[in-house]
Amino acid sequence: MAEDSNRRYEKIEFLGEGQFATVYKARDTKTDAVVAVKKIKVGTRVEAADGINRTALREIKLLQELSHVNVIGLLDIFGQKSNVSLVFDFMETDLEIIIKDNKIILTAPHIKSYMLQTLQGLEYLHAHWILHRDMKPNNLLINDQGILKIGDFGLAKYYGSPSRPYSNQVVTRWYRCPELLFGAKQYSTGVDIWATGCIMAELLIRLPFLPGETDLDQLGRIFQVLGTPTEDDWPHVKALPDYIQFRSYPKQPLKEIFTAAGDDLLEVLDQMMALNPLKRCTATESLKMPYFSNKPHPAAGHQLPRPGSNKIVNKEQEARRAGLKRKQNSEQDRGLAKRLMF
Amino acid sequence: MAGNFWQSSHYQQWMLDKQDLQRERQQDLKVLTEDEYQKVMIFFANFIQGLGEQLKVRQQVIATATVYFKRFYARNSLKCIDPWLMAPTCIFLASKVEEFGVISNTRLISTCQNVVKNKFGYAFPQEYPYRIQNVLECEFFLLEMMDCCLILFHPYRPLTKYCADLSSENELLPLAWRIINDSLRTDVPLLYPPYLIALACLHMACVIKQKDIKQWCAELSVDTDIILDIARTLIGLYDVWKNYDEKKEIAGILAKMPKPKLSPSRPPSEGPNGQDGSNNSQNQGQSMQQSGMQSSGP
Repeated sequence: MAEDSNRRYEKIEFLGEGQFATVYKARDTKTDAVVAVKKIKVGTRVEAADGINRTALREIKLLQELSHVNVIGLLDIFGQKSNVSLVFDFMETDLEIIIKDNKIILTAPHIKSYMLQTLQGLEYLHAHWILHRDMKPNNLLINDQGILKIGDFGLAKYYGSPSRPYSNQVVTRWYRCPELLFGAKQYSTGVDIWATGCIMAELLIRLPFLPGETDLDQLGRIFQVLGTPTEDDWPHVKALPDYIQFRSYPKQPLKEIFTAAGDDLLEVLDQMMALNPLKRCTATESLKMPYFSNKPHPAAGHQLPRPGSNKIVNKEQEARRAGLKRKQNSEQDRGLAKRLMF
Repeated sequence: MAGNFWQSSHYQQWMLDKQDLQRERQQDLKVLTEDEYQKVMIFFANFIQGLGEQLKVRQQVIATATVYFKRFYARNSLKCIDPWLMAPTCIFLASKVEEFGVISNTRLISTCQNVVKNKFGYAFPQEYPYRIQNVLECEFFLLEMMDCCLILFHPYRPLTKYCADLSSENELLPLAWRIINDSLRTDVPLLYPPYLIALACLHMACVIKQKDIKQWCAELSVDTDIILDIARTLIGLYDVWKNYDEKKEIAGILAKMPKPKLSPSRPPSEGPNGQDGSNNSQNQGQSMQQSGMQSSGP
């Protein structure tokens, strides 16, 4: 069986190497579809001390149970000797590449489509009691049909069950919500919603909205824009483990920051970025807000931009190869590999 | 907490039927009688329980590990991988999947050694032969053989809900809970959805406590034949236990159990004791232990 599967996928090209996996673009000879094959490494003796990497294990166990158009599909799993390989949908690009590509103009229908797809995927995850815990543009993968899928479940976790305290060291800093930054060990779907709000803001301004340099700086940036929380609008905030009193900043009107955005969009953003996690909207609530039913309609898949001209794509590939050759440059290496994970 | 059982891999891929189990077991049943096979499975469920308790993992981890063990041997002969190795591997994997954390290598192996020595010496008089390398290798086989279906649903959660609904958390819950623990010693977890197992265990607890919940049951829309089928299997287990002294009998049964052939890729054993299979593997274990100790020196 294993051998059959091994022969079933024909390697097209090497895509990248991550911490615990190597990824290839491959052709499924059975369906002729292009897929991404992620081969999980056994690693060296030291790395292998914990057995199958926990991050990989989370991805396997959760994706095996999930099926939604806006969630990356785990198509197949096969093993040979002491290797396990995961077969995923092949994704052409991701939202970070789109946002950074300055040849692309993101129109209101584009942004609405990305947000709609992201929130629909997130609604599905939350309805299945899963927190993603690493929502950010480069984990929102996009295929050649313009379909956005949430990927990278390496930090994802079931929630809602009384269990041991969660780690607050989750979510990439720029997308991390204030309760995590204040050290909350019990949190919920609000962490993903906050991050999605940051992504929405980033789609508007084409730059990370709150690029904090340290955790403290991150909190400072959040409060400078959204106002410093008080016991009135966020009861018990002072009881959080790492709570620090910040200078009292007033809340800035979002209209002045996002001058080009419509009121209905800003309403969604405002609800997603409520400082008090209990006041933050859920994915389901956000999808019911007028923004998503108002005009303009979200762009259809084929109307969504694709990264760069051919020239830029080639540049990308060059950078990709160069990055992979320079193994010692681990930071860049990891960043690239991560982006290419699926 | 988990998602939707009806869309889960547990329901869609891992609800087996009795004929399947019987067919897959044919090879082992040439060597062992059905009764002996059941006793082997009971024994290793006990071993997993013993390891789990010693490692202080939650019952959830123990239950998951036990079902992993059953899934593996539902598709493989006992001679495929030594159950003495598979048992700690299941605990190791289940602990990670249930987010209980990674059990450290040295702790896992030393716990195996202690539990075998102190609790199961009657079944395994030698020193525990396996090293962490064996567990890590075995983990891959386990994962693959389960088709990477790792999320399990257990009867404990539905049981607590039913008992809350019956306002019988004190009377019925603890007893029914223990019956669920016992159900892990049967094929029941492979054959039936957890909520039905929970109902069957609840039903048995009611019979024992002579509590009438007919009224409550009347509102259930479940197939009572299945509930009774599960109850019968569990009663079968208690019948086995009634006339069975594991301490006396299990060593003989384990000696008969089909054993894996030794893998040729490992270093051959040294010394005069390597005549039969078990001694052989023990020596290998020791030689690996020595090399392991050297490399992990200060």
